[in-house]
Amino acid sequence: MAVIKRNERVAEGVFCMSVCGASAGRAGQFYMLRVPGALDPLLGRPISVFESNAETGETTFLYQPVGRGTTQFAALLPGQAIEAQGPYGNGFPLEPGRAVVIGGGIGTAPLHQLVKELRETDPARRIDVFLGFREEAYCVSEFERYATSVSVNVRGIVTNDVDFTLGATYYACGPAPMLRAAAGQAEAANARLYVSLEKRMACGVGACLGCTCQTAGGGKRVCKDGPVFDYREVQHAL
Amino acid sequence: MRSDPLSLTLCGVALKNPVIAASGTFGFGREYAKIMDVSRLGGICGKGLTLGGSAGNAGERVYETPSGLLNSIGLENPGVKRFIETEAPYLRSLGPAVIANLGGHSEEDYLEGARLLNEAEIDLLELNISCPNVKAGGMAFGLLPATAADITKKVKAVSRHPLMVKLSPNAADIAAVARACEEAGADAISLVNTFLGMAVDVKRKKAVFNNVYAGLSGPAIQPVALRMVHQAAHAVKIPVVGLGGIATAEDALKFLMAGARAVQVGTMTFANPNAMPEIIDGLSAYCEEEGLSNLQEICGIL
Repeated sequence: MAVIKRNERVAEGVFCMSVCGASAGRAGQFYMLRVPGALDPLLGRPISVFESNAETGETTFLYQPVGRGTTQFAALLPGQAIEAQGPYGNGFPLEPGRAVVIGGGIGTAPLHQLVKELRETDPARRIDVFLGFREEAYCVSEFERYATSVSVNVRGIVTNDVDFTLGATYYACGPAPMLRAAAGQAEAANARLYVSLEKRMACGVGACLGCTCQTAGGGKRVCKDGPVFDYREVQHAL
Repeated sequence: MRSDPLSLTLCGVALKNPVIAASGTFGFGREYAKIMDVSRLGGICGKGLTLGGSAGNAGERVYETPSGLLNSIGLENPGVKRFIETEAPYLRSLGPAVIANLGGHSEEDYLEGARLLNEAEIDLLELNISCPNVKAGGMAFGLLPATAADITKKVKAVSRHPLMVKLSPNAADIAAVARACEEAGADAISLVNTFLGMAVDVKRKKAVFNNVYAGLSGPAIQPVALRMVHQAAHAVKIPVVGLGGIATAEDALKFLMAGARAVQVGTMTFANPNAMPEIIDGLSAYCEEEGLSNLQEICGIL
């Protein structure tokens, strides 16, 4: 059982929650967060790691209170308990060399921990971050701590800002149309691109087969075999 | 030495406790073995098998409802042969009783699957005539006493394993189906599988699931499942295994008092992977508080 340290609104419709007591997770992994003992909603909500802080032992999540579960989260106060099962999922691979990171909306959340890990594993590498938002940008300064450059696009198409011919490793997380656009551009430029997928899931551990997506290599479980995939594997599922 | 008050024998199979992982909610044990102590369970029902395996349904597969879960997985499974080669030996290594769940699209599928499973080292065969998510077969066999009895009799004739038939709550007369299965030779029955439900995406003006209808499970169905277990238990003499929305030890006790000899826990494991160990601890504590030498003493007292 984790304990909430902070839980506050950081932008319109976006909350940031830090907890201690969760096992440390990696970039791209997620936790099933659940109000302890709750039967309605019944299931945990898969929420990815925004930041995992080894020094403080805190894990931070960025989430939008849109459904019943996340709306309940937004009402929780520091000191209250929350179930944080996990970390689950494979996480982003940390490839050597230059990195380009593309995020859309709440899909920027797992990319923050990714940029942090990319920086920690190579203080000298170039990391260019492109963040797209529909209404209002958030958590940009958190990215600036680790990235070489951060470019923000509000109300536009963030993938239009990205050059896929740099020979870098590209990482993307965001709404399906954004991932489709990124995949199309990566294919045209023969670039290496990893995408993090989102799908409705029940168990989060690969048992229920509720989040299976059809890939080039057969059915894959987004929660267990993903959520991060080489885009070529899942291009038809995007 | 005093025996464990939770221990029981089900169709000649010794279980260390009456808490069994429900089919379709526990894979073949591999995933949960990494995050909980699966050796504590009384038994594990593997994912529902079909003869040649299946990729499952396209489109949305799960959708949450108040205290419940609709699913339309569509029996995604590796097929009977791969189960026998890789999953059954693994399940056996975990410790709990091993139950294979067999579904089918046709009578021939069921019979060939059951014949092949004679090679598998399993303790029980659970015959799934109640899956609502596959177009042909599945639930179609379990809605009427005559069809349920027919497939039960034929599978029983070819299988060397004790046979537990898993019933559908969508049958009009659950007691009649239970009785028909008993008369056809079933060694036990388990109930209930999921209730046929539906979800609508109002924004898109469409049904959520490609199949339109899907199976409802979770605490939402518990009172109805409990009533059906009670009715079935009063209709037959063979052991009844109860399931449907069990979340706590108290829930498990309700099913046992209503006539179940053992219970299965499914959807709740998704919400809380430790639900079953917690239920087992709760049942042990209950036996101690009530001074029961065996939990079976309270089975069917209602």
